[in-house]
Amino acid sequence: MASHAKIAELFARQLFKLSVVGGAVSAEQVAGVLAYVEKHRPANSVMVLKAYHRLVAAELAKGEAVVEHAGAVDDAMLAAIAALMSRQYGRPVVATAKPRAALLAGLRVRVGDDVYESSIAGQLAALASAV
Amino acid sequence: MSTVLEQIEQQIAKLSGKGVKKNTGNIRTVADGVAKIDGLSDVMYNEMVQFPGGAIGIALNLEEDEVGCVILGDLSSLKEGDEVTTTGRLLSVPVGKELLGRTVDALGNPVDGKGPIDAKEFYPVERIAPGVVVRKSVSQALFTGIMAIDSMIPIGRGQRELIIGDRGTGKTTITIDTIINQARINRVGLASGDAKFRPVYSIYVAVGQKNSNIARTVTALEAAGALEFTTIVAAPAADNPANLYLAPYSGAAMGEWFMENGMDALIVYDDLSKHAVAYRQISLILKRPSGREAYPGDVFYLHSRLLERAARLEGKGSLTALPIIETLAGDVSAYISTNVISITDGQIFLETDLFNQGIRPAISVGLSVSRVGSAAQIKATKQVGGKLKGELAQFRELAAFAQFGSDLDAKTKAQLDRGNRIVELFKQPAFSPLPIELQVAVLFAMQKGFFEPIDIRKVVEAAVSLKSFFTTRKDALLAEIRTKAALDAELEAKLQAACEEWKSSFAA
Repeated sequence: MASHAKIAELFARQLFKLSVVGGAVSAEQVAGVLAYVEKHRPANSVMVLKAYHRLVAAELAKGEAVVEHAGAVDDAMLAAIAALMSRQYGRPVVATAKPRAALLAGLRVRVGDDVYESSIAGQLAALASAV
Repeated sequence: MSTVLEQIEQQIAKLSGKGVKKNTGNIRTVADGVAKIDGLSDVMYNEMVQFPGGAIGIALNLEEDEVGCVILGDLSSLKEGDEVTTTGRLLSVPVGKELLGRTVDALGNPVDGKGPIDAKEFYPVERIAPGVVVRKSVSQALFTGIMAIDSMIPIGRGQRELIIGDRGTGKTTITIDTIINQARINRVGLASGDAKFRPVYSIYVAVGQKNSNIARTVTALEAAGALEFTTIVAAPAADNPANLYLAPYSGAAMGEWFMENGMDALIVYDDLSKHAVAYRQISLILKRPSGREAYPGDVFYLHSRLLERAARLEGKGSLTALPIIETLAGDVSAYISTNVISITDGQIFLETDLFNQGIRPAISVGLSVSRVGSAAQIKATKQVGGKLKGELAQFRELAAFAQFGSDLDAKTKAQLDRGNRIVELFKQPAFSPLPIELQVAVLFAMQKGFFEPIDIRKVVEAAVSLKSFFTTRKDALLAEIRTKAALDAELEAKLQAACEEWKSSFAA
């Protein structure tokens, strides 16, 4: 079982490498990979596709700034955040807004694994751990 | 009230000044105290990571797209998808004199119910061992209070001396005796007001032991008044393997504080066999390639980097390590045993057969060695016990041959007789370490033949009587031996006279 997972992981990684063109995930290449998997049905194809999905999702997340907000966020602010993040990471980053009342006020921006926290909820959590 | 509000406002202002950047990941799987995490792309090796609910973990496996973490603390509330964040800090534990007299867990949290520990300093659990330049050779004795060890296998400050043997052979007892003896010496030394006196503080690291055993050790130390100079790091068998893996390193960090601050410390790792087993468990769950006996490839490094942290530093203090290894059926050639034997500066081997024969401590003189040798002995001990090890080894050899024939010449018989007396003389009950000056007196009496006319079965009784005679009636002479630390003609004459006096009183 473990070795199957390992083989599926390796195969998914190869497919993922094929899907990246010029440092970004190409929709055409992804479609090609999916067509190949459907046609040839490799062993443990569900496992392979799950691992492939994880890799692609992680890569796409690097190009997307998810802006969680409790108050209002206008398009200008989103554009400013996108520009800032693009500069920070040296690649095009698109900002998308996602309302989240639990933050109380402020913003929480997620780009890939990095989270920029400037919300009241985050500050209260930091305060709670500092006290 | 307004001050409290101001404090909170200041804190909020401080926090709201700018956003905080965190590197995060999500739990993919949690099993057996180990979490596999997606993300955490910025995590460092051995960095602490924060799990929801307050649990922390240590990143041990950094792979291409996942991180393997051991979890310290309660992991029952963790689930797939939970967010994990990096902290940018290496695992640290509280250090300092505030820990003396306390029992703490692998993270330095008190577990003795005596309230919080007000530690001023923290040391990282993993540190690079001192290099060649800052080290000083081991030349100052660390008295265990066990006559067989102090006279034949001396231990010096900064040395690593392995204690190895089967289960139930008295390995822990030797270390507890040593800790008790340090406390006794500390009390005498501190009371004397000698500015040059350097007390030895002890750290006892219990790895994978039963809680009842740890409680017994604490009670024994408390009863002997040694707890005030001792810190106990407890990672009992019921703890998760990550705590068992970390406990010796935490203890080493606590010991290093004493060493770095010009003090001397003694650390006991009880025991490293269970430590290796805990590390094997973690490694297998992390899917690291396994080698001999399923241990991972870096199991040697696991112990070498730990034991190398014991040293005597130039211009600073020392850290003496007494690691314990439990063997199976006396097999010293097992994987972990040979590893630790090769790392340490000697070993004290305890034999089940000797233990069952009533020879306690059951030290096998032939297999035990101290590579520091007589450099870690005071002159007085060298004078009275310098040839003992050779004599005893010769006796064992002769005794083995004597089993084959009954016709022995007078010289061989005398050698066997003397050997038997030495063996009897070295018998010592648990938790009653002997001061070095008393050891010198007893060995002097033995060398001068005061035990020769006594029946072998009565040697133990005679030794007890001699010790009692010296402690009750020759206190000044013992103090003189202690301060001079060498036997000159005058002291020898006094000892001879005292022994004669005892002989007449014992015979009567």
